[in-house]
Amino acid sequence: MWKSVIYKEWLKIRWFLIGYAALGIIAVGYIFLKVQHDIAFMEGKNYWYSILFQGLQYFGYLKFLPLIGALAIGIAQYFPETVNKRIKLTFHLPLKENKILLMMHAFGTGSLLAAYLLIFSIFYVLSNLFFPSEIINGAIATVIPWFLAGLTTYFMIALIVLEPIWKYRAFYFIIGAFFTSIYLNQTITAGYAPVNPILFILTAGSGIALIFSAYRFRKGEM
Amino acid sequence: MLPQLYWMAFDKPIKVPLVLYSCTDDDFMIFQSEGGKIELFDTRGNKYTREEYEQKLPLMYTRQLLISGTMPDNIKSVAMDMHDLNKAKSTFRFNPEEMNGPQPKIYPLFESESGRANLEMPDDYFRITGRLEFIKASTNKIDEGKSNLFSGALSKKGFTFPAKSISGLPTTRKSCDEGYLIIDAAGQLFHLKMMEGHPYVRKVELPANLKFKYISCVDFKDKKYYAYLFSDQNEIYILTQDLYELVKLPVEGFDPDNCELRILGDIFHYNVIIQAENNLKVVVLNYADFQKVDTYEKSWLKRSERQKGKIAAGIFPFQLKMSDKNSNFTNFYFEFSKGFFWMIVNILFVAAHLFFLMRRKAKLSKNLVDLCVIAATGIFGFIAVNFFQNKFYD
Repeated sequence: MWKSVIYKEWLKIRWFLIGYAALGIIAVGYIFLKVQHDIAFMEGKNYWYSILFQGLQYFGYLKFLPLIGALAIGIAQYFPETVNKRIKLTFHLPLKENKILLMMHAFGTGSLLAAYLLIFSIFYVLSNLFFPSEIINGAIATVIPWFLAGLTTYFMIALIVLEPIWKYRAFYFIIGAFFTSIYLNQTITAGYAPVNPILFILTAGSGIALIFSAYRFRKGEM
Repeated sequence: MLPQLYWMAFDKPIKVPLVLYSCTDDDFMIFQSEGGKIELFDTRGNKYTREEYEQKLPLMYTRQLLISGTMPDNIKSVAMDMHDLNKAKSTFRFNPEEMNGPQPKIYPLFESESGRANLEMPDDYFRITGRLEFIKASTNKIDEGKSNLFSGALSKKGFTFPAKSISGLPTTRKSCDEGYLIIDAAGQLFHLKMMEGHPYVRKVELPANLKFKYISCVDFKDKKYYAYLFSDQNEIYILTQDLYELVKLPVEGFDPDNCELRILGDIFHYNVIIQAENNLKVVVLNYADFQKVDTYEKSWLKRSERQKGKIAAGIFPFQLKMSDKNSNFTNFYFEFSKGFFWMIVNILFVAAHLFFLMRRKAKLSKNLVDLCVIAATGIFGFIAVNFFQNKFYD
């Protein structure tokens, strides 16, 4: 039964996930194509200088990439469940309701994380070809909140899409948008370094938010 | 978000006066702009026109006085030689966010004795971790030979790796290169530069218990000192050029975590201008020996102490921001409201919620958590609890 549930989730998101991973690889590829182009024209020493002392963020294109992935996977996974309230069929399966929902959620989160990990790993490996650890560490401290914003968006989509009442959907949307925006403030490189652990905890906490909507959905709120 | 909207609607800027010491009158000249009106006066209450004001500060408005032909030939028997004036003129500015923010950790070490008129950006950058390492930007590889040479030179002088801080002027836009002032893991101060490809390392003897938390290097034409150094006791020092003497400036009340600092130098004086959230202090020092000449102080109420701040402190039990003007770091900055008025407001919100509950004939026992949330967080909890009401499915 678990395998079937996971297979159903996979069927829903597979093309979105593969498409998103491809988009991520292309985006990272473009970043480093530009890096090598700019280094060729400016020389490495001047390019490093721009990063270290003039605020250049060579990784800036990554800012909304995790958000795009979260929107794609989140909508692909949860929107079909609300059409004709199909999620109710899932709740009628001989499995515990919260458990099955968390299973779906964990699968979606895992898939999104796998895509993020792939994008991040390529970014990290290619960064190592061009830059010393000080520049890379600054870049990582800056992109971590962007990836956490992606995860939070995915969790918020689950909360909003599964919410049965439109009024609450609107409230959740406003709060979700505000909550996500705290990860995406304009800041200098590594400016988020001290707050990243707290954002990590907040993101993990928001992962179970959809339980509220699902609870109300199951209890027949319309 | 609510406090942010409140302050966007009601906050008013404080017009901080520009206060400078007049070398002609030996008094402070005050430039105060209020509501589009400019007032120019001194501490004795004399008011001045713009022209009179500029003539009292001839070393600040030299160009203007030269144009209008009112620049004096000499002041206090000192001839106003443009070369001397320019040489002594210096401007230094420090904001707390420079200290409270991410630091680059790798820096370019310029060739100090290249024999060229202009400085050139080197191909490598150095870090000081377990040793001093040069990383070539063209290959992203470590230059082992140069790294060993410079690490050895530091070790020979008693440097304890790694470096706590590295301060310098990492730019080619300066008159010459004086390298970096480095604090090692043991809190010792070193001067490092590169001369004809070789390391120049000088250990600066520090008095016992003197520790620096921030160093800001300068490049002034008179070449009197390398840097301003802020101690962990919030004192300001300078490090004299070539002699490496630390001179403590007779300036108190400067907290680099919360104060902006400007030091304006001219042929007679240094105006040390310290601006905190609620006060301005100007200390005037002699140019020659850094002795204190005069002090000016002006205070005003903090934002939280003004009427609108008190209202905000009543409505909001705390305020939470993601940024702080004294820091370049993004973080959760809590500001808890002073006084007790917010507690009364919180109790009123609890009472209002109780009224709503009674009107809905809801069970109190099932809403105790909500009431506690409102009691603790006031308006924030009240809004949250009433937008997302509890529903129980028995």
